[in-house]
Amino acid sequence: MKMRRTVLCLSIFLLCWQLGGQEEITIRIKEGMPMIPVAMPEFQFNEAAGQKSDLKSAIYETIWKDLEFSRIFKMVPREHYSYISRFNPNAINFKDWASIQANILISGQLEITADERIIFSIKVFEVASERFIFGRNFGGKKDLSRLIAHRAADEMLKHFGEKPLFTSKIVYVSESPSDKDIYIMDYDGFRPTRITFSGAIDMLPSWSADNEKILYTSYRNLNPDLFMFDIYAGKTELLSSGGSNYAADWSPVAEQIVYTSSKNGNAEIYLKDMKTGKEKRLTFNPAIDTSPCWSPNGREIAFTSQRSGTPQIYVMDAEGSNIRRITTEGSYHDSVAWSPDGMRLAFVSRIENRFDIYIFNLKSNEISKLTENAGRNENPSWSPDGRHLVFSSNRSGRYQLYLVDYDGRNIRQITASGENKMPKWQKSSK
Amino acid sequence: MKKCLLVLVALSLILMFNACGKKTAKVSPVQEPVVEKVEEPTTQVEKPVLSEEEIFQQKSLEELNKDQILKRINFDFDQYSIREDMKAILQANANWLLKFASVEVLIEGHCDERGTVEYNIALGEKRAEAAKNYLVSLGMNAAKIKIVSYGKNKPLVQGENEESYFQNRRDEFVITKK
Repeated sequence: MKMRRTVLCLSIFLLCWQLGGQEEITIRIKEGMPMIPVAMPEFQFNEAAGQKSDLKSAIYETIWKDLEFSRIFKMVPREHYSYISRFNPNAINFKDWASIQANILISGQLEITADERIIFSIKVFEVASERFIFGRNFGGKKDLSRLIAHRAADEMLKHFGEKPLFTSKIVYVSESPSDKDIYIMDYDGFRPTRITFSGAIDMLPSWSADNEKILYTSYRNLNPDLFMFDIYAGKTELLSSGGSNYAADWSPVAEQIVYTSSKNGNAEIYLKDMKTGKEKRLTFNPAIDTSPCWSPNGREIAFTSQRSGTPQIYVMDAEGSNIRRITTEGSYHDSVAWSPDGMRLAFVSRIENRFDIYIFNLKSNEISKLTENAGRNENPSWSPDGRHLVFSSNRSGRYQLYLVDYDGRNIRQITASGENKMPKWQKSSK
Repeated sequence: MKKCLLVLVALSLILMFNACGKKTAKVSPVQEPVVEKVEEPTTQVEKPVLSEEEIFQQKSLEELNKDQILKRINFDFDQYSIREDMKAILQANANWLLKFASVEVLIEGHCDERGTVEYNIALGEKRAEAAKNYLVSLGMNAAKIKIVSYGKNKPLVQGENEESYFQNRRDEFVITKK
């Protein structure tokens, strides 16, 4: 029923969208790919770990939630474990686990050493073949329990041919009544760390390709100037000032950034070589040109331009030539984000005074709506694997950050205190 | 316009009356109470003319800005052209700025909370630029005007209604040098 309603809304939107074209529109809502059923019985533990039930369950729950989030794995419900004999790591009854439809079995063991360190190990088995697939050990301080859990879950992704995701970070703006500062946190909203202390508005952060620097705009000099913060060196560098300087995006293939600047009087898109410092202006139009975003192969740039009278999404070659318009209907689109597979553009559209996130499929020219009937939804950013997005929404009354799958499923709020906006997911995780 | 005429007529009447009163006073000092009454409006008429300069001389930059010597203007949704009803405010701001030619001003462009962060920076900038161009067309020296856009970062009021949105879609004129 819910699906049908979504389809209906989509058709209405698509009709508005492609009114000029008169072409027949087909809508497919992608069903998720077949997911791999995974069972993870409670971890074994030594006496010291047994006394730390918070820590034990934190690691277990973190791995469980990571795998459930992945859209690669499907967790076999824990209630089903009670139908079979109790898990014994030394004599695994694979037939039992097969009977509750588990394909993969994770056996975990947690120890806390005398000096309060964690030693955590996983062993992963294929149930049908009754075969050990791989094992990993992790060690670290107690306060790194969440990181250890994310690492373990990432090993599952890696083994199944996926890139790590659960150790990826999100940079965003957190706002108190007096200030806007930039923070970095885990993808699931835990472990936020503040990284700017300018006492002025800091905003629109984004990652360098190596994830070691943050590009952002700050009003610390009473003007929106573009800065770069080196996370590891702790150094801040001014990149562009004069006029407004914002919406920077680092090239995925070269030491170059694109950003918006009105240093010459009008909002235009500039390309800056980060090695030589040389700049090249890419747009030459008296209208507003803003919000540039690289394609994953670095050959094209999507951006917003108001040259038709209203803000629309365009794509140009990275040299600034061959400009073509992507959105043809509607009167307000911005904040475009190119998916890691290069196939889709996510952006914000205003339709009848509602701000929602839409996804445009560049191959099929289909548009789908990602958010619906819930506040203003802004600043979409893709996860490194392209299966999820993070965005901000004021659906709860205040701006908070949310995760959503590429097909609009599994919306989940990940921040709760203050107001949180303008998230950008790392483009890759190490 | 009609209002202005009426004020002018009233002013001239008062001044005439005042002049007559003074003559009468010299001729017959017995009618002292009448003279006193007549002198009062004279001081009232002169007061604002004197005080505008006094205010400028005496008050600090912060106080001048806090008192909103230069009034805000508002914009239509999604627009950055100057509304007809805002032109009189800009004219009044220009008159004041032309009078005190040493003043430098920063025009802050702002937007309501609807719309994206990025596009609102550009829109706020266009709003500040529109006011700058208008002031320059009224004779202001462009070198004395700087602009900055805050986009939707600094709403004046909170609230999800047209009245709040209207108040937030604005240019503010900040005096940065006397």
